[in-house]
Amino acid sequence: MSRGPIVVVGLSHKSAPVEVREKLAVPAEELPQVLRALTHDPHVGEAMFLSTCNRVEAYVSPRSGSNATPEQLAHAVRKVFEARVGVNARIDPGHLYEREGEEAVRHIFRVAASLDSMVLGEPQILGQVKDAYDAATENQALGHFLGRCVHRAFTVAKRVRTETLLGAGTVSISSVAVDLAKRIFGDLTDHVVLLVGAGEMAEAAAKSLGKGAKAIRVCNRSLPRAAELAAQFGGAASTLDTLEQELLLADVVVTSTGSSTFVITKEMVKRAMRARKGRTLFFVDISVPRNVDPQIHEIDNVYVFNVDDLEGQVREAMKARVSEVAAAEKIVSNELDEFRIWARGLAVAPTVVALRARTRAVLITELERTLGSRLRHLPEGDRAALTQMIESATNKLMHTPTTRLKQASVEEDGPDMVRALTHLFDLPEPHEEGPKDTASEKDAGQAAQDGSDDKAPQTH
Amino acid sequence: MNIAEGILLVLTSLSYLAATLVYFAFLLNGRGASTVNRVGARLLALGASLHAAHICVASLYLHICPVEGIHFPVSVVAMLMCVVFLALRKRVRADVLGAFVAPFALTALFASRMSGGPSADTGHVRNVLLPLHVFVNVGGLAMFGLAFSAASLYLVQERLLKRKRVEGLFQRLPPLDALDRAEHRFLLGGFPLLTVGILTGTAWARKVEMGGTADVLRFGFGYAAWILIASVLVLRAAAGWRGRRAAYGTIAGFGFAMLALLVYLVRAPAAPPSPVVMSTVNTTVPQIQPPSVIGIVP
Repeated sequence: MSRGPIVVVGLSHKSAPVEVREKLAVPAEELPQVLRALTHDPHVGEAMFLSTCNRVEAYVSPRSGSNATPEQLAHAVRKVFEARVGVNARIDPGHLYEREGEEAVRHIFRVAASLDSMVLGEPQILGQVKDAYDAATENQALGHFLGRCVHRAFTVAKRVRTETLLGAGTVSISSVAVDLAKRIFGDLTDHVVLLVGAGEMAEAAAKSLGKGAKAIRVCNRSLPRAAELAAQFGGAASTLDTLEQELLLADVVVTSTGSSTFVITKEMVKRAMRARKGRTLFFVDISVPRNVDPQIHEIDNVYVFNVDDLEGQVREAMKARVSEVAAAEKIVSNELDEFRIWARGLAVAPTVVALRARTRAVLITELERTLGSRLRHLPEGDRAALTQMIESATNKLMHTPTTRLKQASVEEDGPDMVRALTHLFDLPEPHEEGPKDTASEKDAGQAAQDGSDDKAPQTH
Repeated sequence: MNIAEGILLVLTSLSYLAATLVYFAFLLNGRGASTVNRVGARLLALGASLHAAHICVASLYLHICPVEGIHFPVSVVAMLMCVVFLALRKRVRADVLGAFVAPFALTALFASRMSGGPSADTGHVRNVLLPLHVFVNVGGLAMFGLAFSAASLYLVQERLLKRKRVEGLFQRLPPLDALDRAEHRFLLGGFPLLTVGILTGTAWARKVEMGGTADVLRFGFGYAAWILIASVLVLRAAAGWRGRRAAYGTIAGFGFAMLALLVYLVRAPAAPPSPVVMSTVNTTVPQIQPPSVIGIVP
């Protein structure tokens, strides 16, 4: 990328176990604080933080006019990670990965398209990336460059879903959990499903489990939200205060709260199992940090599976989708090419803008001088016509250089051309337009669009 | 062995062997579950039919009623296991139990041939209780054999689940709860038969003097089996002993029942088969002796 590098630092289900991921996980209410910490770094201009049960990642790009290196940006992210983990703990460097420039862009494209998900092609990740984007936008942490990159990631995800079969079928973490429940209970028509937590993952689980279950009950910290979700499935709602009583009724328990401690303890389940007379109880803990004490798995007739445990099942489900990966990767590569063209166009845009401004300024200055002396008798209408003529002349004069400059940027001759124009026309040295410098950003973006016809999506 | 019996024995063995291979192939590669279950069940049904025919022909040839003689116990138990499994397989939703039933039937068929010929002392035991005693014990053993199969598969499945190895074999075995329910149902079906077997055996034993160590062992193993299975059923209902504990109890109960049968078979005399013996016995005056009947209790 000709623009300052995008850098991503993070960890995922591929690089770190759940015990590590849960330490770095950021609940939605704490995102503003983390985004502030990132953007307060002198090198970081734009930031987006993605925290899901399978990955925790920070995407950053450099501050306007900054010559920050990828290492400096990565260091800024690691500082924030370390602050989250605390002074008494450390993150094993082996668990973290870093990507910069095109590899970082490819990474977010692949993440949004669910090519990097635990369950290949699962749809939830796109919603989670959108949530991260919204949070970053609301906190004014995103600008034109990284923002555009994330928008492009949405386009990639949409294309992959519509042009390939990567998302075909119902495979997701929740449907894998459903399959496991069926391997334990046979069918769920005589069994009750309890959702602990009423977030997006719980809703997805309810959609999968609700198809065959006898009843769905929702237990949540907030009763109105629980009631809202329960109403969708004709179930009953309650608060977490009644969780232990709910365990007597349920056969499958799906937990997905934002709690940082165990919501369901071993003692609680032991008591429940005595009252249940040993009836099988299956916990699907899809929350990070985990909500269900893993020691509960040791109790007779009780089974606890967390997100990592589902990976084995996921591998089986992935086999059917693997054949679509090549097609999806091709879309990623195509979109990466497009983004590269746009980004390079963005790099030459300041030069185009400066050249146009210089040309127009010279012509307008000469016109005004002439109108103030020899042509001062001209009426206002004729003066306006002459000004319009200057504008048209500027546009015509600039059309070919602008087109050639855009072309050169695609063919990687852009920097040479920029240097030549800067020298020949004594233009100001081009500098990176900051994401929060709204006027410059608009000009640069428009200039880039003129060359590439790359329209930014208005909605996502 | 006459020719018809020999042919039936070979055909029965081949059917059971084919059924065993079909079920094992499914367990190994997991492909075509519905086809495998259908083909396996048909082969098993064919085997059970041939097996029944073999028992009939053999008993006619030897002039021994299967529920009175001592020659057939293991063979009849195996055949009944197949019949009960085929009758209930859709209800219990555990087709893979065929992978236990088919090889067990095959083994039992040959074991019955190896355990010696028909006993000469069959004719000594003449009592109205005898056919009932033999019938319920054989039926009970068949049910417990199925319960044992379900319990064994449950333990395999439960262990895989506890170790979170939920691919491969785990996917091919029936659901955990289905196995638990199947085991419970087979126990419920077999327990009344076992109880009647215990009662008839005890009633008979009161009329005779106890024999040697073998009789004591048969007593002990028979009652131990009954107590264990009764405990499994009662504790399940009262204290929620399901799953692993119930499976271990079932396996132990079936083990004691089989030990009782084994003691009986080892003890049973192995006189050469002869219709003459039968006719001779029928003309002699019955004497009260320790019961040499097919059963897991005295």
